[in-house]
Amino acid sequence: MSGVWIYADKYEQVFELLTAGRGLADSLGTKLTALVSGDNDTAQDLIARGADEVLLFPPLAEDQPVQDYVPLMADEAREADPDIFLIAASLKGKEMGARIAARLDTALCSECITMNIDDKGKLQMERLMYGGSAIQTVSINSRPQMATIPPRAYEPAQVIDSRQGSVRTLKKPEPSGMKVIDRKGKAQSSGDISAARVIVCAGRGLEKQEDLDLVRELAGVLGAEVACTRPISEEKHWMTEESCIGLSAKEVKPALYLGIGVSGQIQHLVGIREAGIICAVNSDENAPIFESADYGITGDLYKIVPALIEEFKK
Amino acid sequence: MPNIVCCFKWVVDEAYIKPSSSGKIDLEWAEYKLSDYDRNAIEEAVRLQEIYGGGVTAVTVASSDATKGIKDALSRGPEKAYFINDDQFENLEPSQTSAILAQVIADQIDYDVIICGEGSSDMYSQQVGPRLAEKLGIPCIAFVNQLSIEDKQIIAERKTDEGMEVISAPMPVLVTVLPDINNPRVPGLKDTLAASKKPVINIELEDLASEYKRLLIDKGLKAASIERNCTHFGAGPEDIKAFVEAIRKTGVIDRG
Repeated sequence: MSGVWIYADKYEQVFELLTAGRGLADSLGTKLTALVSGDNDTAQDLIARGADEVLLFPPLAEDQPVQDYVPLMADEAREADPDIFLIAASLKGKEMGARIAARLDTALCSECITMNIDDKGKLQMERLMYGGSAIQTVSINSRPQMATIPPRAYEPAQVIDSRQGSVRTLKKPEPSGMKVIDRKGKAQSSGDISAARVIVCAGRGLEKQEDLDLVRELAGVLGAEVACTRPISEEKHWMTEESCIGLSAKEVKPALYLGIGVSGQIQHLVGIREAGIICAVNSDENAPIFESADYGITGDLYKIVPALIEEFKK
Repeated sequence: MPNIVCCFKWVVDEAYIKPSSSGKIDLEWAEYKLSDYDRNAIEEAVRLQEIYGGGVTAVTVASSDATKGIKDALSRGPEKAYFINDDQFENLEPSQTSAILAQVIADQIDYDVIICGEGSSDMYSQQVGPRLAEKLGIPCIAFVNQLSIEDKQIIAERKTDEGMEVISAPMPVLVTVLPDINNPRVPGLKDTLAASKKPVINIELEDLASEYKRLLIDKGLKAASIERNCTHFGAGPEDIKAFVEAIRKTGVIDRG
């Protein structure tokens, strides 16, 4: 048996994985199967966007966590024996991927950043390790070859009319004994940093919480979102973790990133490695961020930021 | 009273990782540390024990030279440790680590709650916890930032991309914890001295009588190139002007 399978718990990521999966399926000359929770309209949309087959999960009970799909997904995969199984690296997806891989006795490449098919038809994958300071290349010697894919690594697949495909509805998953007894949405933050074109990032170089106003003013002039490093959200609690950039927080891809008082710990830098232009203002000329920046100013941020605001206003 | 197991890993301290000129990663001079996220796992186990009683056992799978890690873990509060070690247990992949842990825990340790860090600070694959739960056939709650026990059920608040979910699950259960669940205590001299007197159960590969196949093929490691050619500016008015001009020239900001 063969095939490429994809699963994401959120639609945006289903579309991104359709792009990734379609590419792999075409190079292997095999079909693309999407697993998704939804109805027949959902399935037809995914077929129009590149799926050859859709396996539909019936809706869950209100108190059932989405992880209850895990046994079913593993059983279906064991039966169909696909070559490749990609899962979106959302928090839920990362857990589900590891559990499915355990059930299938196969390996999984976590948060894979590049995928290529080699001349033997095997996946060659890259991932970051050691806090983002190293890239490891791996392949997988068992079936299916599994990977979790970070959000926004691929463009969402577009609708192509007249595509045909098949739909199969799966049985309802058994309750696992785990119950969702409450759900809370996120606290509303000012904007979404992961989609921002320009980001001004506040770091530990700020002395007190009020000084964030200075950073916000600069962001206002640049039409930027304000983000922060881990110490600002986790230790000082000046901003929410929604605004935090870095490993185990958000990875961003702005056209311009401007770090204010950001020293540049590797765990933070890994979150901005895809940024177009990286700029930094820091008082320590040896701060590691300067090694990863395109433009840097060494000096007192309390003098430089007001001057930057004036200059950018011109 | 709950039997609590916490799992930990002794890892290369990434602060010591410097790429060599050839772009290779040189680990010869690296120091080791208790994986950051596992400090939270151990702290949470000890915190639960302080509230609900019971016992805390720390478990690790490592190569034989990780004895310092055992002492470090025990100095943070667990009363005993299982040191599953063998010279072949170097650079294990998540499927191997979880299978070894599962075998030892299932055969030798009473458990109601197993706590793992969300990932390890070296590999950060975030797989061992969920895989271990599957191998033991118990519920898994990942990315937890609040934990309590009520009527023999575990109540866990976990982070999701959408916000938060509160989950109840019957014990035994496995949870993986986020760094913001607690502030790990810093062991003092007394804790370190006490740690050396605590029992350590030594388990070697030959005691396990099982094979743990490698499935993930390591094709090499290179330094991540996040280095850019930084143009440095000073802090004077002309520098500010030049800096802003340089950014404007890239065309990434619409208008000044």
